[in-house]
Amino acid sequence: MTTTRATSTIKASDHSGRTILDWFENMLPKIVVAPTFLCALVFIYGFIIWNGYLSLTTSRMMPNYQFAGFIQYANLFANERWWTALRNLAVFSSLFIFGCLAIGLFVAILLDQKIRAEGFIRSIYLYPMALSFVVTGTVWKWILNPGLGVEKVVRDMGFPDFTFDWLVNPQYSIYAVVIAGLWQSSGFVMALFLAGLRGVDDSIIKAAQVDGASLPRIYWRIIIPSLKPVFFSAFIILSHIAIKSFDLVMALTGGGPGFSSDMPATFMYAFSFTRNQIGMGAASAMMMLMIVSAVVVPMMYSEMRRTRRG
Amino acid sequence: MADQMQSQGASRFGRVLVYALLTLMCLYYLLPLYVMISTSLKPLDEIRTGNLLSLPVSPNFEAWIKAWSGACSGVTCDGLKGYFWNSIRFVVPSVLITTIVGAFNGYVLSMWRFRGSDVMFTALLIGCFIPFQVILLPMARTLGTLGIANSTTGLIFVHVVYGLAFTTLFFRNYYVTVPDELVKAAKIDGAGFFRIFWRIILPLSLPIIVVSIIWQFTQIWNDFLFGVVFSSGEQQPITVALNNLVNTSTGIKEYNVDMAAAIIAALPTLFVYFVAGKYFVRGLTAGAVKG
Amino acid sequence: MGALSIRDVRKSYGTQDILKGINIEVEDGEFLILVGPSGCGKSTLLSMIAGLDSITSGEVHIGGRLVNNLSPKDRDIAMVFQSYALYPNMTVRQNISFGLEIRKVPKAEQDKIVAQVAQILQMEQLLDRKPSQLSGGQRQRVAMGRAIARDPTLFLFDEPLSNLDAKLRVEMRTEIKLLHKRVGKTIVYVTHDQIEAMTLGDKIAVMKAGEVMQYGTPQQIYDNPVNLFVASFMGSPSMNFIPCQVVSVNNKLGLKIETGGQTHVFPVDAKGLENYMGKEVIVGIRPEKITHKVDFLAGAPNFYVAESLIEIAEPTGADTLLMVKMNGKDVVCRVHPDHARTHGERMPLMFDMSKTVYFDPLTELRIA
Repeated sequence: MTTTRATSTIKASDHSGRTILDWFENMLPKIVVAPTFLCALVFIYGFIIWNGYLSLTTSRMMPNYQFAGFIQYANLFANERWWTALRNLAVFSSLFIFGCLAIGLFVAILLDQKIRAEGFIRSIYLYPMALSFVVTGTVWKWILNPGLGVEKVVRDMGFPDFTFDWLVNPQYSIYAVVIAGLWQSSGFVMALFLAGLRGVDDSIIKAAQVDGASLPRIYWRIIIPSLKPVFFSAFIILSHIAIKSFDLVMALTGGGPGFSSDMPATFMYAFSFTRNQIGMGAASAMMMLMIVSAVVVPMMYSEMRRTRRG
Repeated sequence: MADQMQSQGASRFGRVLVYALLTLMCLYYLLPLYVMISTSLKPLDEIRTGNLLSLPVSPNFEAWIKAWSGACSGVTCDGLKGYFWNSIRFVVPSVLITTIVGAFNGYVLSMWRFRGSDVMFTALLIGCFIPFQVILLPMARTLGTLGIANSTTGLIFVHVVYGLAFTTLFFRNYYVTVPDELVKAAKIDGAGFFRIFWRIILPLSLPIIVVSIIWQFTQIWNDFLFGVVFSSGEQQPITVALNNLVNTSTGIKEYNVDMAAAIIAALPTLFVYFVAGKYFVRGLTAGAVKG
Repeated sequence: MGALSIRDVRKSYGTQDILKGINIEVEDGEFLILVGPSGCGKSTLLSMIAGLDSITSGEVHIGGRLVNNLSPKDRDIAMVFQSYALYPNMTVRQNISFGLEIRKVPKAEQDKIVAQVAQILQMEQLLDRKPSQLSGGQRQRVAMGRAIARDPTLFLFDEPLSNLDAKLRVEMRTEIKLLHKRVGKTIVYVTHDQIEAMTLGDKIAVMKAGEVMQYGTPQQIYDNPVNLFVASFMGSPSMNFIPCQVVSVNNKLGLKIETGGQTHVFPVDAKGLENYMGKEVIVGIRPEKITHKVDFLAGAPNFYVAESLIEIAEPTGADTLLMVKMNGKDVVCRVHPDHARTHGERMPLMFDMSKTVYFDPLTELRIA
C-alpha cells in the first residue's frame, strides 16, 4: 500500500466520487470569463441587433419601435450627402491604404539595409501613431491653412502664385484628409513590414545571392512575395481605420466645407446626434458594418483557406 | 578588381542614397512636430508675418498658459486643465480594469479551455473589428437609462466594455506561448486555478502587462468618438475639448494657442511612447500580425 | 495488490477512438515502459493515468484505489515532463517544495525533504539557482527531484530525455535506472526510443494505433515478437524481413533464398511452417545473426553459409554493417570489422537461423 509519509501528505479520499469543491473548481474558469462574454453578447451583438432594428423604424429625435421596413435605407440612398460620404470613403480608402502600404514598405526596405541608429529612426517614424487623430487633424489643419500654412511657405520661397487651399476647396478637401492620414499611419505599416522583413529566412537570400541575383531583384522576386501575410494584416487594419475615420475628419475639416469631405462616420454622427434623425443614423451605421464585413470577411475566409490548404 | 571597385562604388552610392531618403522621410515625420512647437512659441503677429518654417524670434510660453488655463473650449473659458484631469479620471481606471480582466480572460482562454471557449474567443475577436457607430445609439440610450450618461463612470463603462476584447486578445495570444506542461505540472503539484495564476503565470506576464497598459492608455486617452457622443460640457475628455477649442470660431483664431493645446493633449501619450516605445511597437505588431 | 492497474481503458474524442481497450497490470516497484510510434496513444494513456485527461470508459487503479474521478493532486502520483516544466520564476528549492507548500507540509519538514532530494540527485549547489541558469541535464534532474519530493506511489515520465543531446541522454538514462534501484518506486515511462525501452524497463508495452501489441519483458519482446510491427519496432538496426517460399528438401522444410546470383535452400526446423508449404512467408532475422563465416560453426545445425554481393558497407567502429540483397530485399548484416569486405565485393556470410521468426505475409502475425 502507500508509504506512511505519503498518507500524511495527501488528502484522504477513499471514495472515487466528486465533491462540490471539484464541481466548483471545474466551473471556475467559465465563471471568470462569463462577465466578459456576457458583455460581448449584450453590448456588441445585442446592440448591433438593436441598432439594426432602429434602422428599420422611423425614429427621429426619440426612438420609436414601430416597424417601418427599409424606408430609412431608401432615404439614405436618396440622400446626396450620403453618396458624397461613400464617394469620399472610396477615394480616401484607396489612397490611404495604397499610400500607407507603399510608403511603409519603401521605408521598411530602406531601414532593412542595416542602418546605423535604426532604433532611433524607427521611433521617429512611429511617434505619430501615439497621437490622437484629433491632434493630427489640428496640426495639419494649421499646416494646410490656406494663406498662412504651406501656401505661405512656398510663396515666401519665391513662388508668389502658388495656391494650396485644399482645406477650403470642396473639390479637394478629402485629399487633405488623405495627407494627414498618411502621415499618421504609414509609420505603423512600416513597423509591420520591418518585422516581416526581419522574419525572412537569411539562407534563402544567401542562396539567391549565390545564384547571382542582384539586391533589387532579390527584393522584388523573393522577399516582397514572402511578405504576403503582412500585406494582408496591414490591409485589414488600414481598411478598418479608413472606414472608421471620424476623429481625423472632424478635427481637420469638420466634414466641410459644406459636406464635401464627409465620411460615413461623420454622416452617422451628424444625423444621429445633431440632426435628430436616429433612424437614418442607425441605417448609416448598419451600412458601415456591412462595408467592414464586406472587406474583412472575404479576406479572412481566403486567408483561412490558404492556411488550411498550405 | 575593377569590378569590385565598381560594385564598391555602386554600393557606396547606394548607401548614401538610402541614408538620404531616410533623412528625407525623417523630415517628413518631424516637420509637423516642429511646426506645432514653433508655432506655439510665437506671438500672433509673428505667425502672420513669418511662415510655418521660421524659427520663433523670441519664444514665449504665453500661448501655453492660455491653452492650459484660459482658452475657450465650448462654453467655458478655463483652458484645458479641467479636461486634462477629466481624461485622467476615466483613463486610469479603464486601463487598470481592462488589463486585469483581460489577463484573467486570456489565462482562461489559453490554459483552461472548455467546450465553447474557442467560439467565445472568436466572438470576442470579431468584437474588435466592428465599427463602433453601430453601438453608439443603443449605448447612448443605455447610459441614459442607467443614469450614467455624461459622467466619468459612463465613460469608464464604455471604454471597459469595448476594451476588453483587445486586452483579452493580447493576453490570450501571449499565454498561448507558455508551454502546457507548466500548468500540468502545477496541477499535479496540487495547485488550483488561482494559485497557478498568482504564483506561476502572473510572474511571467510582465512584458504583456506593459504592452496592454501602454496600448490601452494610448487608445483610451486618444479616443474622440466615445468622448464626443457620451459626454458633454464639463465631463468631456481632453480630445473633445481640444477639438472644441480649435474649431470654435469666436473672434480671432489664435493659432499659437491651438498648437499649444494640441501639444498639451498629446503630451501624456507622447511621453509614454518615448519612455516605453519598444513595448508599444510590440503591442502594435502583436495584435496586428495575428490578423 | 499491484501499484497500477489499467482495466479495459478506452479513450474517444467524438467518433475517433484513440485508445481501444488497454489492459495492463503493474506490480509494486516495477518499471513499465510504454513505447510506440507517434500517435499510438502512449502519451494519452499517461495523461489519463495522471488525471490530466478524462477516461472515456474503463478503470484505472493506483495503489489499490479507483482513481477515475480523482484530480491529479489526489492520485498520489508525480510526473516528469519532456520539457521539464520547471516554474521559471522560482528557484530550484522553491520548484521542489512548491507541491509540499500547497499541501501545507510544515516548513521544517519541507527543508528536510528538499535537502534529501538534493543529496540523492547531487544538486545541493544548484538549490538557489533559477531554471534559466541551469543546463538541460540539470533541469531534468530538478524535474525528477520535484517528483521524488512528493514520495508518490507512482512516478510518471513523459519522454523525459527527448530534449537532451545524444551523449547526455545516455548519461541520464543510467541515472534514471540507478534512481529506480535506489528509490524502488513504481515507474511508468513513455518513450518512442526503443533503446531506452530495452535498457530501462522491467516490462514493456509496445503500442500501436491505440492498442497494446505486446506486453512482456524486454528480452521476451526482443526474442519473441508477436507480430511484424513489434519485431520491426524493437532493435536497432531493425530486424530484416525477407519474403521466402517454403519448400521441401530431403523431407525437411527449407526456405528458398536467392542471393549473390545463386539460389540456396536454407533448411529450417520450425513448427508451424508446415502449413505454409509452397507458400510465401516473411522471415525475420536480426542483423547480428548474419555475420562473417566462423569456420567451427559453419556446419552446425541452424547455421548456414551463403555468399552474397555487398551493396553498401557502413563501418561503425565496433562492427561493420553490410547491406546485401536477398530475394530482392535489402538485408543488413553485422560483421566484425576485421572480416568485412567492401562494396562491390562478394563475401561468404553465416546465418544463425536459431532465433529466426516467421510471419504470415497477410496477417503479419507470428507463425513460428
